[in-house]
Amino acid sequence: MNTFWIILTGALVAASCGFLGCFLILRRMAMLGDAISHSILPGIVIAFLLSGSRDILPMLIGAAVVGLLTVFIVQLLSQNGVKADAAIGVTFTALFSVGVVLVSLYTAQVDLDLDCVLYGEIAYVPWDTWQWGGIDMGPRAAWGIGGVFLLSLLLVGLFFKQFKLCSFDPALAAAIGIPVVFFHYLLMTLVSFTTVAAFESVGAILVVAMLVVPSATAYLLTEKLHVMLFISMGVGVLCSVFGYLLASWMDSSIAGSMTAVSGLLFLLAFLFSPRHGMVIRMLARRRMRLGTN
Amino acid sequence: MSKDKIFEEGQLLSAKTTYQRVLKGTFYSVLTAAFLLTGCGTKEEPATKPAAGETVWKVTATTGMVADIVKEVGGEHVEVTQLMGAGVDPHLYKASEGDIKRIDQADIIFYSGLHLEGKMVEIFEKMSAKKPVKAVTASLTREHLLADPAAPESPDPHVWFDVSLWMKAVEQVRDDLAAFDAAHASSYQANAERYLQELKELDDYAREQLGSIPKEQRVLVTAHDAFQYFGRGYDVEVMGLQGISTASEYGLKDVQTLVDTLVERKIKAVFVESSVPKRSIEAVVQGAAAKNHTVAIGGELFSDAMGEPGTPEGNYIGMVRHNVDTIVNALK
Repeated sequence: MNTFWIILTGALVAASCGFLGCFLILRRMAMLGDAISHSILPGIVIAFLLSGSRDILPMLIGAAVVGLLTVFIVQLLSQNGVKADAAIGVTFTALFSVGVVLVSLYTAQVDLDLDCVLYGEIAYVPWDTWQWGGIDMGPRAAWGIGGVFLLSLLLVGLFFKQFKLCSFDPALAAAIGIPVVFFHYLLMTLVSFTTVAAFESVGAILVVAMLVVPSATAYLLTEKLHVMLFISMGVGVLCSVFGYLLASWMDSSIAGSMTAVSGLLFLLAFLFSPRHGMVIRMLARRRMRLGTN
Repeated sequence: MSKDKIFEEGQLLSAKTTYQRVLKGTFYSVLTAAFLLTGCGTKEEPATKPAAGETVWKVTATTGMVADIVKEVGGEHVEVTQLMGAGVDPHLYKASEGDIKRIDQADIIFYSGLHLEGKMVEIFEKMSAKKPVKAVTASLTREHLLADPAAPESPDPHVWFDVSLWMKAVEQVRDDLAAFDAAHASSYQANAERYLQELKELDDYAREQLGSIPKEQRVLVTAHDAFQYFGRGYDVEVMGLQGISTASEYGLKDVQTLVDTLVERKIKAVFVESSVPKRSIEAVVQGAAAKNHTVAIGGELFSDAMGEPGTPEGNYIGMVRHNVDTIVNALK
């Protein structure tokens, strides 16, 4: 049963990150997850200073608030002339440094780092269960991530056309009357909630990787957004299953193994993608060379 | 002309089949790998041999120090599995897939507590509703513990370097084991008494040895504040560069103040730690050298983890002795 819950939680994290990751890749903001993983430090320090405890609830609220702040600043900067990657870099280093300064000023004697008070570990997921009306409902993490995943699916499903146009051609979208800025902020809010919830359940590395790698893999394999979304979620689920098997075989970190598998799948797509794959292009070139002889 | 064309098509065909073969090969190797992995994954860990009709309890402990207590007190009635190996910083510990089994299959679990194991402690607190999960520091009250006045609810977890406090942890394990397995309570009692005697001797040894250093020079300078209890217990002034968390950064002023103190009080040595990088403390040595005061690196101290199993420092008593001897030799 433990195995099932871990693979399920991993798959839910991978699928929800892979889903939103597609939009981030198209908007050239793939590293937003990494940025949030650092920028929430001041959130937890301030939450600690206000509440005086390292309990998960104040930590989670602090992280969520600063997570939102991060994506809003990034969005604000990037729509006012700062390149997306620079906007991400500026925002997260600034917020992270505020956190470091706060730690060294006020909480140097307390063990208050993100790894210790916020980031979860996927291996512990099965024991952190949720009771409802006296019935054991299974891991809290699976429900939490499942919830935000459903919210993303619902919102993106309802406004798929708008999201699609805003990602590919914001100018055209604005011209035909879609509130582009609103949809950008909506997407960013979803990313922020998903990452913070996932950090709390499974730790940082898995989330950062799943926001980028499955969608980058899918990007190599198709030209259609809806196909890309499905491939990306599928790759995420494969990472979870094979990553768990790998971790079990080597008795190693589960999140680490899932991430390693995602890298491997990306490599396969990079080499063998029907349209962009390196090997395929090499074969095509050889064919052309032979053709001209 | 037609001959050329046939040749060309032949090449094309072979290129295509090569590609298909590569794809097929990849597919099969992935499949085989998957089967191999599942095969290995379901392999059970070797079962413990019950000693002639007796149950041997499976005990899982987090750090080496905790595992050591359980081994000593539990004796032949327990088989101890330790999660965090030699040289592992408990703050940065990452669980592996096998740890799930090691935690799940344990009859009773002991951990250090006081947030030393980070998020793991929260999980243990939840699990304690279903199986015995015990913190060895549970009996320590506020007057035993050191905490930043700004955060009295978050005490320093490094209690094992005051041997007299760690003896309370031994008593805790003794009581927990006796309650868990009442049939062998007297055996746990006897084992604990013997171990407590050894620890008492260790405590005396440390106090006596450290007391032989002149008070002015009895200063322990190290990279990570794991020695606050040690300092209080044995009247040693402790100066560190970092805060308690291994993740917090040290400030520039910290380094300068430390260098000034070293020069002023003619302190002979500073120390590095097994689980913290040497770099930060070496900066201090160089700072003092610039002011014409030679400071030696006094040797390596064990802080959050013990030495490799099999070496003298691979158990708690050996580790404390090593630290005491290293400090005394360098400062005297």
